[in-house]
Amino acid sequence: MTVLPLPASSDRPSIHPLGNEKKADLATSGPAAAAPTAAYLHIPFCRRRCFYCDFPISVVGDARWGDRSCTICAYVQQLCQEIAQTPAHSEAFPMTRPLETVFFGGGTPSLLSVGQLEQILAALRQQFGIAASAEVSMEMDPGTFDLAQVQGYAAAGITRVSLGAQAFQSELLAVCGRTHTADDIPQAVALLRQAGIENVSLDLISGLPGLTMAQWHESLERAIALNPTHLSIYDLTIEPGTVFGKRYTSGEAPLPSDDATTEMYRQAHQHLTTAGYDHYEISNYAKPGYACRHNRVYWENRPYYAMGMAAASYVQGQRFTRPSTREAYYAWLASGALIDCAPTPLMEQLLDTLMLGLRLREGLSVAALRNQFGDETVHRLVEGLHAYVRQGLVQIDSGDRLHLTVPDGFLLSNTVLAHLFHLFS
Amino acid sequence: MTDVSVSNIRNFSIIAHIDHGKSTLADRLLQVTGTVSDRNMKQQLLDNMDLERERGITIKLQAARMNYTAKDGQQYVLNLIDTPGHVDFSYEVSRSLAACEGALLVVDASQGVEAQTLANVYLALENDLEIIPVLNKIDLPGAEPDRVAGEIEEIIGLDCSDAIQASAKEGIGIDAILESIVRQVPPPQDTTEEPLRALIFDSYYDPYRGVIVYFRVMDGRLKTGDRVRFMASGKEYEIDELGVLSPHQIQVDELHAGEVGYLAAAIKAVADARVGDTITLAAAPAPVPFPGYTEAKPMVFCGLFPTDADQFEDLREALEKLSLNDAALRYEPETSSAMGFGFRCGFLGLLHMEIVQERLEREYTLDLITTAPSVIYQVTKIDGEVVYIDNPSLLPDPQHRERIEEPYVQVDMITPEEFVGSLMELSQSRRGVFKDMKYLTQGRTTLTYDLPLAEVVTDFFDQMKSRSRGYASMEYHLIGYRDNPLVKLDVLINGDKVDPLATIVHRDKAYYVGKALVEKLKELIPRHQFKIPIQASIGSRVVASEHIPALRKDVLAKCYGGDISRKKKLLQKQAKGKKRLKAIGTVDVPQEAFMAVLKLQ
Repeated sequence: MTVLPLPASSDRPSIHPLGNEKKADLATSGPAAAAPTAAYLHIPFCRRRCFYCDFPISVVGDARWGDRSCTICAYVQQLCQEIAQTPAHSEAFPMTRPLETVFFGGGTPSLLSVGQLEQILAALRQQFGIAASAEVSMEMDPGTFDLAQVQGYAAAGITRVSLGAQAFQSELLAVCGRTHTADDIPQAVALLRQAGIENVSLDLISGLPGLTMAQWHESLERAIALNPTHLSIYDLTIEPGTVFGKRYTSGEAPLPSDDATTEMYRQAHQHLTTAGYDHYEISNYAKPGYACRHNRVYWENRPYYAMGMAAASYVQGQRFTRPSTREAYYAWLASGALIDCAPTPLMEQLLDTLMLGLRLREGLSVAALRNQFGDETVHRLVEGLHAYVRQGLVQIDSGDRLHLTVPDGFLLSNTVLAHLFHLFS
Repeated sequence: MTDVSVSNIRNFSIIAHIDHGKSTLADRLLQVTGTVSDRNMKQQLLDNMDLERERGITIKLQAARMNYTAKDGQQYVLNLIDTPGHVDFSYEVSRSLAACEGALLVVDASQGVEAQTLANVYLALENDLEIIPVLNKIDLPGAEPDRVAGEIEEIIGLDCSDAIQASAKEGIGIDAILESIVRQVPPPQDTTEEPLRALIFDSYYDPYRGVIVYFRVMDGRLKTGDRVRFMASGKEYEIDELGVLSPHQIQVDELHAGEVGYLAAAIKAVADARVGDTITLAAAPAPVPFPGYTEAKPMVFCGLFPTDADQFEDLREALEKLSLNDAALRYEPETSSAMGFGFRCGFLGLLHMEIVQERLEREYTLDLITTAPSVIYQVTKIDGEVVYIDNPSLLPDPQHRERIEEPYVQVDMITPEEFVGSLMELSQSRRGVFKDMKYLTQGRTTLTYDLPLAEVVTDFFDQMKSRSRGYASMEYHLIGYRDNPLVKLDVLINGDKVDPLATIVHRDKAYYVGKALVEKLKELIPRHQFKIPIQASIGSRVVASEHIPALRKDVLAKCYGGDISRKKKLLQKQAKGKKRLKAIGTVDVPQEAFMAVLKLQ
């Protein structure tokens, strides 16, 4: 594979906080047929595994990070090879379009050295191009980087950082098996700003073992005080096979009760909207213009590339998830990186559109749904939602925007979606 | 097909308890006589329905004609008439036994005689059948042929000195069985010159040829083209097709006394050619039919409702089609304020009920809600009128009724001695009246109780099995109606009375059942967006109450990368769960809730 020279620093895209991002073309054949302008890169390495986590990752330990680690080096090589092998144009979309959003997720992408990050971005530029105004996000954990490193990242092209704060109580962080302390969080934010990265998002987790309402308020207030552009609030899910899965049962002490976590969700909504954040998605809040452009691609059911172990792409109507171990992923690459799955059938596209689109506060356009799925389907949909409209969980505004109410509808979104799945299956 | 003289015909059936190896033995006989080539052999050949093969039981019986050259050098025709192996179908068993001169009594040599076997042996003895004891599974390390032979001698009074030791699985003793059939089972009487009488022992509906009737010619002869009369139904038909079962149908022109065969005559429903009816010639009818015909009466009733009201017509069509093939199945439309339109259906017993439900769901792809089984109550009203109530919600109010009588059955259980105490406790707790206890051989005991049928159709059988670690077996038959202080227990969900959950219980048990029932319902009904009270009441008096707290949160926060498949799977699972929910008012109630009364501790 070719390693391109590093881009000059003048190429570095600046932050472009866009209000209402331009929607991808809704071609008559459906949005999936348009050329993707988003790419997800999976960096499956962590220093250790958090106790709630069941993502496909490799634990590399404290000593083995940076470019000294041949494990990560080898992976980056393979990842760049996949990028180079991914067609940037096809019969369906003959024109190559530069990427508008890039997202480094993990794992802990901040375990990449600056050189490794540059290598990957260079491969993307070579293959697809990256728009000057692109949003280039990276997930980072507090305590995994220093100033020089983030300055390097910023120089390489990172424009947005999503910081895994999770909680502002060191004892809770320890309970989760996190490697950082509460004090690492403001320090990490300061480092990012010093490096010129202003677009910073914080992740918080509600429903952690022993989390009290007072502590939750404290976390929210301390997060707001750091003035991030964006916040993601996740309710802890107990996954089987994790340390938490072995230790705890959902809804039972020391986990907060369902009533308590419901209240935490409502409190988050209350505090953050009061502080000027828009509750624009079930678990996401943003200052005006700072909604995550990359994640919106998913929620709007638009196509995206994805590269890396276990990464899921949606290109030309095909949803494909790569093998979830490194060995299997490398073998898949070596055998030609074949994406051999059927394109998503129309009915599944409808379910995907509903499941993803209703996560957004703005919801879905009835007219666009009618365009893509036909009158009869939309009629059944609207009829099927009638009971939820009456219960105040769903609204159809000015006859077009179909959306869940905030926060009541958001809180019971699965009830509504399961009903729609039942209706259309 | 070879023509055969009456003296060289042997008609026999196999009596065995479930799992004692009847189907395997039948398969082996077909194989050894060359009736079915090894290549075409599939396990349990006679059990045609998928359900039968899955459960290893025979529901619809079948027959097979085998050619066998015996050691005496003569050619014999052996007709095996298979019998269903479940108490629900004892009438069918009695009719197929009536079509035979002999029976193989197959007993698992590692187990012993079971209650159902015993009941069927008595049926065979009533029909004067020659009984050949076979000790099966002799190859098992735990086989105790001497003990089991002793048990047969002691319980049934059958000489077991010549009992055949066999293993159908290993092919041991098969020749000896065939020779014994030839030597010991008497040939049919040669009544070929008498007026035709053929006994129907089974029939099924074929969509192309109409009902296919299986029969044994008792007297006389019949040919293709003959006009025949079914003596009980009075219907007449011309025979389109006549044949024997080998075990697949092979056409012949004529059958005579002693032979077993099938006919097709464009008959529209099995109700026109019921099991036990006698076929005679319309032109030269026999003076009297063969004795023993009765119409099977349903004993167990339940409501069947489509989950989706749009499927009501589909359900009606499916029931119509099933009843073409099942003369014992009864159904009539039922309307319930809670459930909408459905059918009240009557069955011979619990297994029959389960089979019909399963066939409706599998073969007709219906989503059904089944209500808990009920029996038929005989209610005498104040004005002296007697009404029969098979639906608890229709029980007249207390001020209008003089008394309620409920059906009782005599239950015979055979059990190893160590479980006697536990089974007595079970019977007692189900309002049983102790009748008899007999010690059989080597620590095995029979227990006899009179029990209300309503208590037996719940989970009595499962309880008996679990309390005896699977060792006990049971048989029951109806003995009449008895007067009891019974009350109707209503269930209210969210303030609305839910008819299909109403149940008739003994007054002394009403509080306990009510309390256990609302607790169970609380477990089974999913949370809704609002708090749901659940109450049990007798008349207007609430005897137990619980509530399901409101669902406040049902959301998946995490959406990992672009991988939507996990979230989608979870939603699909949740959506699938909704399939089995019936909307009652604003509350979605799952199928299991309607069976809750059967699952109380």
